[in-house]
Amino acid sequence: MVEKADLFKNGKRLDGRGPMDLRPLKITAGVLDRAQGSALVEWGRNKVLAAVYGPHEVLPKHLADPPKAIINARYIMAPFSGQEEHGRSGPNRRSIEISKVAKHVFENAVLVDQFPKTMIDVHMEVLQSDGGTRVAGITAGAVALADAGIPLRDLPVGLSAGLIGEHMVLDLDKYEDNLGDSDMPMVILPRTGEILLSQMDGMLSRDDISKAFDMIFQGAQKVRDKQIEALRQSYERMAAQAQQGENNQ
Amino acid sequence: MKQLVFPGDKVADEPRRIPGCFVEDGKTYAANVSLQSDDHVVPLKGYYVPKTGDDIIGIVDEERFSGYNLALNSPYGASLSARDTRDELKLRDAVYAKILAVNEVKEAVLIEPQKLAQGSMIAIDAVKVPRISGRNGSMLDTLAKFTGSRITVGKNGIVHVEGGNSELAMKAVEKICRESHTSGLTERITKMLEEQTRKTGGQGD
Repeated sequence: MVEKADLFKNGKRLDGRGPMDLRPLKITAGVLDRAQGSALVEWGRNKVLAAVYGPHEVLPKHLADPPKAIINARYIMAPFSGQEEHGRSGPNRRSIEISKVAKHVFENAVLVDQFPKTMIDVHMEVLQSDGGTRVAGITAGAVALADAGIPLRDLPVGLSAGLIGEHMVLDLDKYEDNLGDSDMPMVILPRTGEILLSQMDGMLSRDDISKAFDMIFQGAQKVRDKQIEALRQSYERMAAQAQQGENNQ
Repeated sequence: MKQLVFPGDKVADEPRRIPGCFVEDGKTYAANVSLQSDDHVVPLKGYYVPKTGDDIIGIVDEERFSGYNLALNSPYGASLSARDTRDELKLRDAVYAKILAVNEVKEAVLIEPQKLAQGSMIAIDAVKVPRISGRNGSMLDTLAKFTGSRITVGKNGIVHVEGGNSELAMKAVEKICRESHTSGLTERITKMLEEQTRKTGGQGD
């Protein structure tokens, strides 16, 4: 059983990370053949699969917005994803909320006016959860959108920061999220520094918030680098397959 | 020297109208994962959005009292008035036509339709159409020379192949799409077509 006192000792966190360290992050783009774009994010013990379909005709038709595309974001946890109750009963208040905030993130990152009167589906399926799945889901969704060829202003990057006792730490896992004092997931566009999502659970002082913002903006660059690496590897895989095809002939 | 650019990467310090890019604060940024070489930015993937004057291939997906609705391998469809066509079209017929006008929600109106004969069709990504055609249609000429097929390419990414060794032509089109972002493609395709036609001993029926 993990206690709150175990979370931060001698400058180290429960899993041995320093306050600014992220969990190991691996992103793979183009993992699904049938989807227009897809990505798998493995972030610590989180595993999130994202798939993008569209732009396509809006259904039901009354939802259509003639000047722009609408985003249909769906975040859901698999029934087997968590150690506890999350996801066991399918769509719930929490997944509806996260789908809604993710929709607003993508609406502000995609160049929606290029595809009037259409709909773009972004599915985020949490296969395994260990804290910070909404930011992992949005990070995966961003790579899937880029992989699908949907025009974006920038790749949205999600990351969370939070307070454990008096220590502000980055990228909280499940224990830090549940037993810590507060946490703040954020999604930003690194190029412009725009904040597309900022939520908070618990209490943070003005100084704490300012510190959390600084840490998130600093850490986000590492996440963006991984997103870019995933898209680059996807391209290199295609190029290698083409090369291999030529050698086999 | 070609280099990959990603959404949000700056491609020019001045505002420029480049496909797959957008302008913000007087500078041009990539909106897609694209290959940039000097002045060119070519997205790896994209979608066809109807444009006035484009020659496209549409597939009839609805018959109306006064005409037809056609699917364009795009998020948007097109309509063709029965007055503008002499042929009676049926569901799933392929039509080569020109886009007369596009409205503010990108729905197209077609004119000068030509019904395409029975043949094979393949839908490819519209950003790869210039690679299928080649410079001044050179790739199409190569394909036609080796396969003996009549190949029609719509700007919307639908390719229609009729007669000759259509199987080989389709295979070559798929290969071009798969390898469109690599260099030396024309040579590779010519080599493949030469080898395959030698194996089969001709252009088929």
